[in-house]
Amino acid sequence: MTGRFRALLRLLAVQGSWNYERMQGVGMGYAAEPLLEDLKTADPLRHTEAVVRSAEFFNANPYLAGLALGASVRAEYDGVAGEQVARLRTALSGPLGALGDGLFWAGLVPATLGAALAAIALGAGWVAVVAFLLVFNVCRLAVTAWGLRTGLATGMRVGSAITASALPRTATRVAGVAAFAVGLAVPLVAGWLLRPFGSRGVAAAAVLALIGLLLARWFGARFTASRFGLLALGATLFLHWVIA
Amino acid sequence: MTADGLVVIAALLVWGTVAGLDLVSVPQAMLARPIVAATVAGWLLGDIEAGLRVGAVLELFALDVLPVGAVRYPDYGPGAVAATAVSAHAPWELSLGVATGLGLVVATVGGWSLRWLRHRNARTTQRRAAALRAGDAGAIHRIQYICMVRDAARALVLTAAGLAVAWLLDGRLRLDRDTAAALTLAAIGAGAASALGGAIRGAGTGARLRWLAVGGAAGLGLATLAWSIG
Repeated sequence: MTGRFRALLRLLAVQGSWNYERMQGVGMGYAAEPLLEDLKTADPLRHTEAVVRSAEFFNANPYLAGLALGASVRAEYDGVAGEQVARLRTALSGPLGALGDGLFWAGLVPATLGAALAAIALGAGWVAVVAFLLVFNVCRLAVTAWGLRTGLATGMRVGSAITASALPRTATRVAGVAAFAVGLAVPLVAGWLLRPFGSRGVAAAAVLALIGLLLARWFGARFTASRFGLLALGATLFLHWVIA
Repeated sequence: MTADGLVVIAALLVWGTVAGLDLVSVPQAMLARPIVAATVAGWLLGDIEAGLRVGAVLELFALDVLPVGAVRYPDYGPGAVAATAVSAHAPWELSLGVATGLGLVVATVGGWSLRWLRHRNARTTQRRAAALRAGDAGAIHRIQYICMVRDAARALVLTAAGLAVAWLLDGRLRLDRDTAAALTLAAIGAGAASALGGAIRGAGTGARLRWLAVGGAAGLGLATLAWSIG
């Protein structure tokens, strides 16, 4: 198994020791280790310093962390000053976080999940779940592998490589697809589940959904989905208890 | 309890642990998504349809969550496993509401346990700070493995607690038909509101909002068509 492949596998656990102090730092150090092995014999002192830097504070989208990992390892081999390598990691944190969150959490995840939910509501069953897992993970692994390869190839010039890549444009496009897919899925799933309850059931669920939307608008992000769900279920139980 | 029953419980515990571990630690392959966690749990319980329905409702709630950076979010994987255990082999129109309630409670507790985990991980890292400063690769390994084992233990305990409550609800909870059906309706309505609320908030005011509206109109049309046919 090559060092690059081991690093790719270890990137799957880049958040394995996520904490409030170094965030993904230790996970990045764990993934960097196989890539830094050749440095051990060539320049032992530099290797020790590189291991220290590799596990320092880092936080970005986990699926794009390979870009920062590859770039910083390449910089270590190129003999770039240690302070500059550390600054590169820090400088990449924010952009890779924003780009990756837009591409995955606000794009690919809701797009593929929305499509899967719509397919389930239309009768596709468990096949839709398997298709969701396959599509997401093929895309995710391809992006992670590309990131590691690009980082290792470009080193300190990784910023230009990211800008020139298709990622920023893809993130914008996939966000529209995600919005469409979620918009499509919600009425289909609700219609699928409400069918046995007839039009009265639909009306009751629609009124509750409207109240929820108004409360979400009023309270903003503080009004979380799980809080509203538990509140709605608790209020329903309480009303039935009072009526009974 | 039969040997088959014990095997199913063991399989659910393993699956809940894998789903909980997937959320943050490894491999972040979307196994923690409620639709995945519940469908597999339904398959293990011999009622894949129950898993799909529970998973679909909990997924509507989970779509509201953007698990970015240090943000606090629920852990839906073990919750979806426990919720499916409530709904499997029961009339879904009467069990989906209670199952969703349990799923949301376990997911919320899971979110709190993640905060605990992150603080414990920080302490583990602090204790090995000197070794990290010395460039000890072994210390990096140890921290990584200790934290992942800790997360697995967290997910296992969460799943076990969820399944225990599911078992209690199955044996002790007696609801009349109207109340059980009303809870199911409340779960579906609240789930739809959560997914749409999150999508509207995330869409802003530009092209994404227009795409959301187009998708919603298409979904409404298709749902109406499916009703008139079926």
